Amino acid sequence: MTVSRFPIDDGEPAVHRVPLPRGAVPHVRTGSQVRPDQVLASRREVGEPLRISLARTLGRRPTEVSELLLVTPGARLDPDQPIARGPDGREVRSPGHAIFLTYSEADGSALLVQLGAETSVIGHVHGTVLQVTRGFISVAVPGARLEGVGGTGDAVHGELAVAVHTHDEELRAGAIDVSAAGKILIGGSRASAETLTRARAMGVAGIVLGGILDKELRDFTAIQRRRREIGGMTGSFAVVLLEGFGKVALDAQLFGWLRANAGRMASLFGEEHLLYVHEASGPPVRSQMAEIGDRVVIHRRPFQGRSGVLVGVLDELHETPSGIPAVTGVVRMEDGRLAAIPLVNLEATIAPIRH
Amino acid sequence: MSDHEPMLTAATAREEATPHPTAETSLLIDIGSAWTKASVVGRTRGRWRIVAHTAQPTRWGERTLFEVLTERMRETVDHRLRDEVPAILAAAARITCHTPARPGRLGVAAVTAEVSGAAARSAAESAGWIVVEQAAADDGRSLPERLSTLTAADVDAWLVVGGFDEARPEQALEAAALVAAARRGGRTPVIWAGSAALTEEVAACFEPGVVQAIPNPRPNASTEDLAPLRHRLEDLLDRLVESGGTRNLAPIGFRRTIEEIAREDHLRVVGVDLGARYATWAFADGTLDPMTVDSRVYAAGGMGSPSLGTTAAIGRLARSLALPVDELAVADTLQNMRARPASIPFSEEELQVVHAAARLRLAALAEERMPDSIDLLIGSGRVLAAAPTPMRAMRIMLDGLRPLGVTQIALDGAGVLSPLGSLPDDEIAEGIGVLRDDLLVPLGTAVVTRGGRSGQLAIRARLHRVGWPDPETIEVRAGQVVVMPLPRGERAEVDLELEGGATLPGPRRTHRLRAEVSGGAVGLVLDARDAPLMLPRRLDDRREVIAGWLETLLREPVPGRPRAATSDREPARRGLSRFRVGRDDRGRDVSAADDANGEGGGEADR
Repeated sequence: MTVSRFPIDDGEPAVHRVPLPRGAVPHVRTGSQVRPDQVLASRREVGEPLRISLARTLGRRPTEVSELLLVTPGARLDPDQPIARGPDGREVRSPGHAIFLTYSEADGSALLVQLGAETSVIGHVHGTVLQVTRGFISVAVPGARLEGVGGTGDAVHGELAVAVHTHDEELRAGAIDVSAAGKILIGGSRASAETLTRARAMGVAGIVLGGILDKELRDFTAIQRRRREIGGMTGSFAVVLLEGFGKVALDAQLFGWLRANAGRMASLFGEEHLLYVHEASGPPVRSQMAEIGDRVVIHRRPFQGRSGVLVGVLDELHETPSGIPAVTGVVRMEDGRLAAIPLVNLEATIAPIRH
Repeated sequence: MSDHEPMLTAATAREEATPHPTAETSLLIDIGSAWTKASVVGRTRGRWRIVAHTAQPTRWGERTLFEVLTERMRETVDHRLRDEVPAILAAAARITCHTPARPGRLGVAAVTAEVSGAAARSAAESAGWIVVEQAAADDGRSLPERLSTLTAADVDAWLVVGGFDEARPEQALEAAALVAAARRGGRTPVIWAGSAALTEEVAACFEPGVVQAIPNPRPNASTEDLAPLRHRLEDLLDRLVESGGTRNLAPIGFRRTIEEIAREDHLRVVGVDLGARYATWAFADGTLDPMTVDSRVYAAGGMGSPSLGTTAAIGRLARSLALPVDELAVADTLQNMRARPASIPFSEEELQVVHAAARLRLAALAEERMPDSIDLLIGSGRVLAAAPTPMRAMRIMLDGLRPLGVTQIALDGAGVLSPLGSLPDDEIAEGIGVLRDDLLVPLGTAVVTRGGRSGQLAIRARLHRVGWPDPETIEVRAGQVVVMPLPRGERAEVDLELEGGATLPGPRRTHRLRAEVSGGAVGLVLDARDAPLMLPRRLDDRREVIAGWLETLLREPVPGRPRAATSDREPARRGLSRFRVGRDDRGRDVSAADDANGEGGGEADR
C-alpha cells in the first residue's frame, strides 16, 4: 500500500479520475455533485459492418462518386445524415448511428460500421466533478484513498464491512453469507479462489485483503474471464490487496482503521488497485523512508507482513542472507523478536494525525 | 568505485601550504523508476575518478541522496575540504538522466501484421514507445473488432502504415479510416508512414495539420529503412511526453554511450540495461564504416514485465532454479518484486527467483537479436549491479544472453553509462575517456561454444599468461562450465581447440584459434553448455545440473601466484582500449592453420 506521507487534513478530498472511453458523451459538468451509481457519460458500442451502394443510388459510375462524398473516412454519422449527394440532388443517407470507413471505387459501395445502443459510464464514487475532458472526468471524493499493490476486477461500490476477527485471519468461504451481498468486505491475510468465487456468487461487491496467493488470483481472474466470454455472468466484482502477494496479514493499525470505518460507503477499483472510503478521515500513512522510532511493516519473506518498531540502523552495510549488502535496520517485531532488515524492505506506517 | 585517494586539485597535491584547495566535481545521476544511482566524479591526482557513489530507492528523495554522498565524499576528500563538501556537491555540474515518467503510448494501424506492422512496431519500440494496440487488416480480427480495439486504446499518438510506394491498397485507406474513427478529433497526432501515393488521401481523413507524413519505411518489397520513422517518433516522444528532451531519457542515453564505446575502439558491442520497468538493448558495430547501430527500448520489458507473471513464465522460472522452490512461491516473489521494485531479495531463494527472472528477461531481449561473435558485452541495471558477487552478475548475462564466441563481459556497476549518454554528441567520447578507469567493472572474458556431444570433450584450452610457466591444458566437456582466475587488468592469450562438434562462430565454424583475453572480477569462463542452454527434461536431473553449474560458478577461484608476479598490465589508454578483446590479425581466428591441419590437427599458428 502506498499513500503519501504528507499529513492529510480531515475533509481534504481525494481526487479520482473516471476514464472515458473514446466517443463517450459526458452528462455532467464541472461542479456537478455525483453519486456512486450515477451515469456520468454514455457511448455507443461498435456493431457490425455494413456496405451500402452509393453509385447505384446516385445513378453515377463508381469512379464519379468520390467527388460527391459529404463525409470523410472515420466520420461519425447520425441517423439520416447525408453521406453523398449527386448534382441532381439525390442523396444517400446513413441508416442509423454509424461510422463511415471507406468508399470503394471498384464497386461504388461505402463501408460503414454500425453503432449499437448506448451504454453507460458509471463513476462509482460520490463527490464533486472537478474537470471534464475527452479522456476522463475527475471527481473530488471526500474521504480517504488507499492504493494497493494488486487486484483484479471491475469498479464497484458498496458498504464497507469487516468479515474477519483479526488482521491476520484468513477469509474463509464459510464467513460469507447473504448479508454480505452488495458490500465490500475486509478480509485478512488471504482468501482462496474458492472463497472469491463464493463471494461473487453471493453478490458481494468486492473484497479487500492483506495478501493473496498470486496463483489463486490468476485462477480466479481466468475463471471470471471465461465466464464472461461464454456469457451469463452478471454483476461486477473486485478484489484489491493492500500489502503483498502470498499469505500476508493486513497491518494491524490499518485493519483497526478499516474496522473503525465499517458501515461507510466505499468504492473499489480492482484493476487500478484503489480503495476509497467515503467520508472517512485519513488512514495510517505509509512512507518508504523509515526512521528510528517509526512503526514499520516488513515487505519481504520470511517476515513479510509483520510489523514492529525500527529501533536502530546499523553503521556499516550489512549482508542479507541473500548475500546482498544493504543499509540495515534493526526491527523489534510485535512478538518481541529482533530482526535485521534492509531499510529498503521496510515501510514506515504512521498513525493518522487526527481522527 | 572510490579509489580512496584524497581528492585534490593538481596544485594542492604539489604543495600543502598553497592557498585553500579547490575541487572540480561533476555529478552523474540516473533517476530510475525504482532506484536512483549517483556518482560524484572528481579530479584526484590529475585524473578524473568516481570518488563517491550511492544507489538508493528513488522515493527516498534528493535530500537523502545528497546526505549519503556527502558522507561518502568526506571519507575521501582532502581534510581541509571536509566542511565544504555540501557546498561542493551543490555547485557540482549535474549530468542527469531519468527513466521516462511514463512511456509514450502508440496505437498502430497497419495493412499487414508481418510486414508493415512489424516494421512499425520495431521502429516504435526502438524509439522508446510502447505499442499499446496494433490492428492489421490480416490479423484475423473482423473490422468491428479492430475498430473496437483501437477505439478503446488510450494513446498519445497514432501510426498508420502500409503499402509500397507505387501501390494504392484499399486496406491502407481503411487503416487510416479506422484511426480517424477511433481518434475522433482532438490533438492526438497521426503519423503516416505508408505508400507515398496515398499521402493526400490519408491526410484528408483528418483535420488539416494533424497528419505528419514521413518516408515509407517499406517503400518496396526488398527495402526497409526505419531510421526516418524512428527519428520522427523520438522527436514526437520528446514533444508529447518528455519536454526535457529524449537525450535525458536513460534508455536513449544508454544507447548513445554504447554507440560511442563501439566507435571509439572499433568494437562490436552489445549493451543491455535491465531496469525495474524499462529494458534497453543496444548493439553497435564499430568495425564497420559507417557504423551500424541497432537498439530496442522496451517500456514494459524490465524486471516488472507482465510477461513474467504468466503461468508459462512462472513454470519456466521454477524449473530453472537450483533450489526446490514451488511455483506458488515463485509467482508470489515475482509479484512482490513488481509491486515493490525498490526492495531487495532477502533470502537465497528470493535471490535465485529474481536472478532467474533477470535471465528470462535477457533471453527475451536477445531472442533473434544477439549477433554472433561480439567483442564486448556490457550489462547495466540494478539487478546486475547489486548482485551479491560479480559471478552472479556474470551468470545472469551468460545464461540469459549466451554470447557465442570470445567475449569480454563488463558491468556498468556505477550506472554511469546512461547519464554520460545524455551529454551532447561531441562530449560523450570525452566523458568516456575521462572516466576510463571507473566507467566499467570488467568481469572477465567468456568463451561460449555451440553444439557438442553431451559428456564428450568440447574445449581444450591453454591460457598463456606473461611470467607464468607453461600452462596446463584445461579440458571442458560439453555441458560443463569452468572458471579460470584472471585478475582485473591482466591480459593473456588463450589457445582454444574445439572437439566433439562444439563450434565457435566464424566464417568457417572455427575449430582452433588463439584469442586475447582480459581479466576481471571473475576471470576467464570456458562455457560449453551450448546455446541455448541444454537441460535435462526430468526436474530432479535438471535441478542437479543447474546446482552443479551454480556451484562451479560461485566457487571462489583458487588463489593465484604472488601478487607482484601478476602484473603485466598495459598502461591504460584513453577510452576503453584496455577492455579490448582484440580484433587484430593475430587474435581471433587462425583459420589458415586450421585449414592446413584439418580438424583437431597440429598447433595453431601464432
